Amino acid sequence: MLIHLENIYKIYGEGLESEVRALDGVSLDIDNGEFVAIVGSSGSGKSTLMNILGCLDSATRGEYYLAGEDVRSLTDRELSQIRNKQIGFIFQGFNLIPALSAQENVELPLIYQGISASKRKSFAEEALERVGLSDRKKHRPFEMSGGQQQRVAIARAISTKPPIIMADEPTGALDSKTGQEVIAFLRQLNKEGSTVILITHDNGIAATANRIVRISDGKIIEDRLQEVSAL
Amino acid sequence: MNWLQSFKMAFKSIMSKKGRSALTMLGIIIGIASVMTIVSVVNGYNKQTMERINSMGTNRVSVYAYRQDNKNIFDGLYDYCLGMSDIIDGITPSASIWTQGGVRYGSRSSTNMEYAPQLYLGSDQYSACNNFVIEYGRDISKVDIVNYNNVCVLGARAAKLFFDYLNPLGESLSVNGVAFKVVGVYKEKDPDSDWSLDNVIVFPYTASRAINNQDIGSLSEFIIKGKDKKSLTEIVSRVDGYLSTVIPEGTGYYSVYNEGQWQDQSNEFAKTMSLVLGGIGFISLLVGGIGIMNIMLVTVTERTREIGIRRAIGAPRSAIVSQFLVEAAMICGIGGIFGIIVGFAGTLIAGKLIVNMILIPGVGVTAAAFVFSVVLGIIFGMYPAIKASALLPVVALRAE
Repeated sequence: MLIHLENIYKIYGEGLESEVRALDGVSLDIDNGEFVAIVGSSGSGKSTLMNILGCLDSATRGEYYLAGEDVRSLTDRELSQIRNKQIGFIFQGFNLIPALSAQENVELPLIYQGISASKRKSFAEEALERVGLSDRKKHRPFEMSGGQQQRVAIARAISTKPPIIMADEPTGALDSKTGQEVIAFLRQLNKEGSTVILITHDNGIAATANRIVRISDGKIIEDRLQEVSAL
Repeated sequence: MNWLQSFKMAFKSIMSKKGRSALTMLGIIIGIASVMTIVSVVNGYNKQTMERINSMGTNRVSVYAYRQDNKNIFDGLYDYCLGMSDIIDGITPSASIWTQGGVRYGSRSSTNMEYAPQLYLGSDQYSACNNFVIEYGRDISKVDIVNYNNVCVLGARAAKLFFDYLNPLGESLSVNGVAFKVVGVYKEKDPDSDWSLDNVIVFPYTASRAINNQDIGSLSEFIIKGKDKKSLTEIVSRVDGYLSTVIPEGTGYYSVYNEGQWQDQSNEFAKTMSLVLGGIGFISLLVGGIGIMNIMLVTVTERTREIGIRRAIGAPRSAIVSQFLVEAAMICGIGGIFGIIVGFAGTLIAGKLIVNMILIPGVGVTAAAFVFSVVLGIIFGMYPAIKASALLPVVALRAE
């Protein structure tokens, strides 16, 4: 099992009257090579779940094993390495660094791996070519369209060839055609063996996943496999 | 992540906000420049003072002694000192004399010179006591003194004033109407100052009678030159003992003073000056450092989202700390380099204006200034850098 969550709670202000349970006892297993959509409305806890899955945040209680490792026992450096090597993030707001060019943004995770400059360059170019942006290497984020920026972000996510891709509302800031291209790309990555976890509020987008996990008020209310509809 | 990468990143970040970076550096530039200027000028001045003391003669004991009955003290003191030749190199009167008529040679007269030569009465050991060396001719001799010879020896500056480049040997200077034959010229030892130590004319002390009709007994200031610094204490105590027998209580006055103390005092003074002025400069550097901290805190706040992104894609806390530390150190280092440049200019200008010397900061001061500015950046960058790294990735990512 790649990901194993058991009774995960994320509670803000525990014990206070204003206590908020963003995650209220979530258990979830995700296997290698799955394409999972975590679906829920705003405030349902789906983003909190993704942050915990992505080691960006820690749970209040519960067990989380990632590739057999007990995440709660890891140091900051080890967690950073997991984020760096195991997971590629794609965010709704792209989260590119404005001062850096497309190429430099894509190289960033490789820099934190300590990879040599020449290798970085070739890896980044390869990733940019995959998303069809070879001609935009030197452009800064603000010189590109939203779709192009999201492709840079995808290139950054895949530059380290991580086994897991986590996409948090990756189409949220894009028009529907560009959004569909992004989804198609995620499907392609999944076909090549990556595990893809897609967070969305959009049932239409969720319909492209093999498995839907629906979450509401911090609890999983539905978890089912489905036939993938054509795009 | 390697250091080169951190440097590149920091440089990029600094260059992307040139105006703000420059303003931040200003505090460091002013601080480094002022500390450098102060230290260099004080050092230069102190060195000049030391050189002057050295060219006047070191390891000296000055003696002031007179008897109410104007009895000759010097001849006895001279003989007493000869008996201590193991620790004493020489003894001479150190009386400067003044004559109304001045010194004349042909149409040249000391009365209308801008910097007139000083006239001194000395023994045959005057040159030894005052660090003079004969360049040509001969020094004043014991015979000149015993025989009341009307001769004199010129300092290099005085020789030039009266004779330009002609040979003064054998020529006669007229002092108060009395002719004195020039028998020697001292080697130049203080070429740069207006009040040059070379602007002197030295006469055998017995010539005081011929020049202004004064008895040798009226001589009251003497210089004793010790072999080395550690012999001075013994010289002082023995000469003091001798004089107490020659000038019993109530018959006159005497004092024996170790000039080495004066030298130490001058050193001490320079040190105090350095500390006080350097301290003021140091405070301005601290203020500059706090400015750095302030700006780095603003930078961290502004770039919280960037920190979140970097954390999300795998930067450990240590990489965030080093990123902001390197940036702070680099701002300060660049500021330090500019400060050093300004400090060089400041030292040249202040040196010229305050002590009238061409001063240049030393390698040590320059290197210390640079290292200090970088260290300042690291110290004041530490808190913002740690603050930046302490943010949870998810919290940092949420920042606007």
